Amino acid sequence: MKRTLKRSWLIFIVVIAFLCGLCFLVVETVLNASDWVDQPYNGHISGAGGLIQAGKITDRNGTTLAQSVDGKRVYHKNKQIRKSLLHVVGDDSLNISTAVQSRFRSELTGYSFIWGLDMPQSFRHGHDMELTVDAKTCKAAYEKLKQYDSGACVVYNYDTGEILCSVSTKTYDPNSPPKITKKNEEEYEGVYLDNTLSSTYTPGSIFKIVTAAAAVENIPDIWDRTWDCTGRENIGGNDITCVGSHGHVNLKQAFGHSCNIVFAELAVELGEKKMNDMAKKMGINASFNISGVDTKKGHFDISKADKNQLAWAGVGQYTDAVNPTQMAILCGAIAKGGTPVNPYIISGNTGSILTDIGLTKTGAAGKNMISASTAEKLGELMRYAVVNDYGDTMFGGLKMCAKTGTGETVKGESEKNDGWMIGYCKDSRYPLAFACVVRGSSQYGYATAGQVAKAAVIQAAKSMKE
Amino acid sequence: MTLIMDIAVVALRMLLPVYTVVIVYQIFAAMRRRRRPERPLVMLQDVDTGEKIPVLFWENSIGRARGSDIAIDDPAVSRNHCVLLRRKEGWFITDTGSKTGTYVNDKRVGSRRTMLNIDDTISMGNKEYAFRRGEDFHEELRSSWFFSKVSNKPAIQPYKILILVSLFHVFMAVEACFCDGAKDFDPAVLCGFLVGVEWMFFAVSRLVLKREAFELEALGLFFTGIGVMLLARQNVKNATLQPAYVQLIAAVVGIIAFCIVIKFIENPDRIGQWRLIIMIAAVLLLGVNLVFGRVTNGSANWVHIGPVTVQPSEFVKIAFIFVGASTLDRLQTRQNLLEFIIFSAICVGALALMGDFGTALIFFGTFLLISFTRSGDFKTVILALTGAGLGGFIVLNMKPYVLRRFQGWRHVWEYTQDSRGYQQARVLTYIASGGLFGVGIGNGVLKYVAASESDLVFGLMSEEMGFISAVTIAIAIATLFIYARSVTTRSRSTFYSISACCAAGLFVIQMSLNVFGATDILPLTGVTFPFISAGGSSIISCWGLLAFIKAADERTYAK
Repeated sequence: MKRTLKRSWLIFIVVIAFLCGLCFLVVETVLNASDWVDQPYNGHISGAGGLIQAGKITDRNGTTLAQSVDGKRVYHKNKQIRKSLLHVVGDDSLNISTAVQSRFRSELTGYSFIWGLDMPQSFRHGHDMELTVDAKTCKAAYEKLKQYDSGACVVYNYDTGEILCSVSTKTYDPNSPPKITKKNEEEYEGVYLDNTLSSTYTPGSIFKIVTAAAAVENIPDIWDRTWDCTGRENIGGNDITCVGSHGHVNLKQAFGHSCNIVFAELAVELGEKKMNDMAKKMGINASFNISGVDTKKGHFDISKADKNQLAWAGVGQYTDAVNPTQMAILCGAIAKGGTPVNPYIISGNTGSILTDIGLTKTGAAGKNMISASTAEKLGELMRYAVVNDYGDTMFGGLKMCAKTGTGETVKGESEKNDGWMIGYCKDSRYPLAFACVVRGSSQYGYATAGQVAKAAVIQAAKSMKE
Repeated sequence: MTLIMDIAVVALRMLLPVYTVVIVYQIFAAMRRRRRPERPLVMLQDVDTGEKIPVLFWENSIGRARGSDIAIDDPAVSRNHCVLLRRKEGWFITDTGSKTGTYVNDKRVGSRRTMLNIDDTISMGNKEYAFRRGEDFHEELRSSWFFSKVSNKPAIQPYKILILVSLFHVFMAVEACFCDGAKDFDPAVLCGFLVGVEWMFFAVSRLVLKREAFELEALGLFFTGIGVMLLARQNVKNATLQPAYVQLIAAVVGIIAFCIVIKFIENPDRIGQWRLIIMIAAVLLLGVNLVFGRVTNGSANWVHIGPVTVQPSEFVKIAFIFVGASTLDRLQTRQNLLEFIIFSAICVGALALMGDFGTALIFFGTFLLISFTRSGDFKTVILALTGAGLGGFIVLNMKPYVLRRFQGWRHVWEYTQDSRGYQQARVLTYIASGGLFGVGIGNGVLKYVAASESDLVFGLMSEEMGFISAVTIAIAIATLFIYARSVTTRSRSTFYSISACCAAGLFVIQMSLNVFGATDILPLTGVTFPFISAGGSSIISCWGLLAFIKAADERTYAK
């Protein structure tokens, strides 16, 4: 009998194992409950019903972007602002999965793990959320963006990480969300996608920043070199073409005129490894976490590229792709001496336990991308581009450093491009980094995205002044 | 007015989890207090030295081996010399193959049981003992942890416990009647029947069977009732309470099975005669299942007999425990496990063929527990584990849908829209949505997910009754083992101690697979939560298994 009883310790171990598993479940539940609740299929919060008692969402100045009044969700009274902030704020549905009203619906409705959802109405306390965005800046950017098929514009404060402007098109009015059918499918293609976070575009010439960084770090006599551009050069069996013939240029001039031939040659000279190393350091293939949403990873893969393709990859064509927010962060890094401050969009309490107890901080420094000296040199190149090619007047006198680019998407007669402008303001009063992209115009980045960037940055600076 | 209603609703919701804790505590507290003081049953007195040896158990091994219940340090005594055991008729001694033999009043004892009388002399090796009454032993004895340091407060009366349990079910009915969108009071009627069944069982147990303790049964009824009441607002398609009534009827059958099993194993010596028959019956049952089984949810462990669907593997669980356990003298004379190993292999193999890997895993785990408790042999355990590992590897290669489940395991958030993670992701979402106190019976959303009332019932409980309730109930079932282990120090035979501990172990294994499978801590295998999951066969087998724990309590058969 004694022996039998002694041997039952094996069963005791099973029981202990079960209790340990149970403890694990409890800990996991306490830590993750708010993430588990925010699922598009969750019957307790789906539809406008889930927002009946939800809290207010305000921008950085306290402007109400969305609130619940008498059982209805009411958005900002200005239609342009509503449309510009659709992808940040969201609508009644959970269709835009990266929007605040989708991801933090449970927090907005006052969710806590103790009380769960589905409390009787009298006991619900909506939870307000404050965003870092500036409604006016978003509106300004949207009014320019809406002229094009689609696009995205991100402006953020590279000192603090606050995102002032995050606009994505196509968009719609959250007050009257469209019913998407077979008929209007094309019109609303990708409308639920926040292009600032979840899309990538061919970078075109803005990728020359990466190639330039690799050259500055790896070629000692880079500043003494000169090139002769005739507008066309055979590299690796095929021609690399330039917009015009840029003549005799040094690195600064080549960057300012956006000379393809110079940077194509540099890419080939640097070779696969050094280009890859720099792209990796600058986070081209990485994802960045913006208040809980991971940006879509960019793409830089030259492992199968021949010499000509490597040359094209060095000027942002080939299979290169980058994400707008990622490019804004890259500019932020250049402005901050090589290490960016991670951008974020929710300034108030997020309801996440980890944030509340200070485990995940907002506005923390991100991963170092380039050395301080390289950052300074890149800044000079970008400053030169503005002064000599776009002119300081473009940004109403703000001291800007920038680069435009044009990613070729559709070739041939109905040529349509992805136009880019990215950069930052070299003024300690307006520490703004930005990235704007516009799809579906045959014009160059300067004429399209440049106008969006101009409107957004000028308005952002104005708002900061107020 | 709405505010008052809302306050009432929230108060009730908060009450249930707290109430769950109270009930579980009261039942286990009563189990601890209800116990006679620790005294030896009889005593052996060394004739030469006068040393008194207390005899504590109904079955005692005597031998030179240190693990013996009565260890005798004498080179002439065999390691497992003989067994001293108590039966209804009195005390017996059996020689279990000793070299030098056992003598009672100088007459040699064979392998057949010889009756002992007080003051008989038992001799083995160079030792001689007088067989004395237990009252003559005056020293203090150590009691098992569960029963030691119990306050002197008398145990709560069984009827009071049952009132607590019934009232809990009434509260559940109230919640179900007033849940969102409810228009009828059908759950109240259901609850009426449920409470009726509970008190009828109590009356039979008290008046007909004359059993004093009712705690274990109350715990079983508590769980069963929760399962039944959860079903009251579960059927979303045609809004009938039919599944709940089916569950209640199955529970009644289960309670009858509980009584029959207890009666059947009353005489541990008669069990030996039935072992082979039961083994054959169990194998036949699984054979029928293999031939006539219809595939449901990927496994063919269901048999349709007219309108009734049964899962024979559930009943085989009872047979499995029955075949695995054994009395002490039999354990000592026939030590090899071969018969049981073959039987287990057939059971596990048949279940694997049906594609019910969850149940196969339960059987395998229980096999390990039984074989180790019987033999204490690590080699068997390690060998079996290796075999199972190989078997598992083969299964993963042959059954793609099992492998698919493994793909989703710990990655359910990547597969929220397909079979790899659909159910688990929803369970987690709705556990979190329920919070600590739940959204109330009938207000849950998990009920729209397939198998929410069986495989995912932990999630359903957690969402509707709150995380506290769900966790408390899971702990209560795990604690059944602590109770079984404690009560078996007084079992009337090792048969009861082995069967009670291993039945409790089976519950824990099954519950682990259910709870951790649904919550993505283990791969989802689709087994039921003991007593609470919907399923007639399952609830009947749970009550059948509970009988083993009840039988381990020596008072069960005391008249």
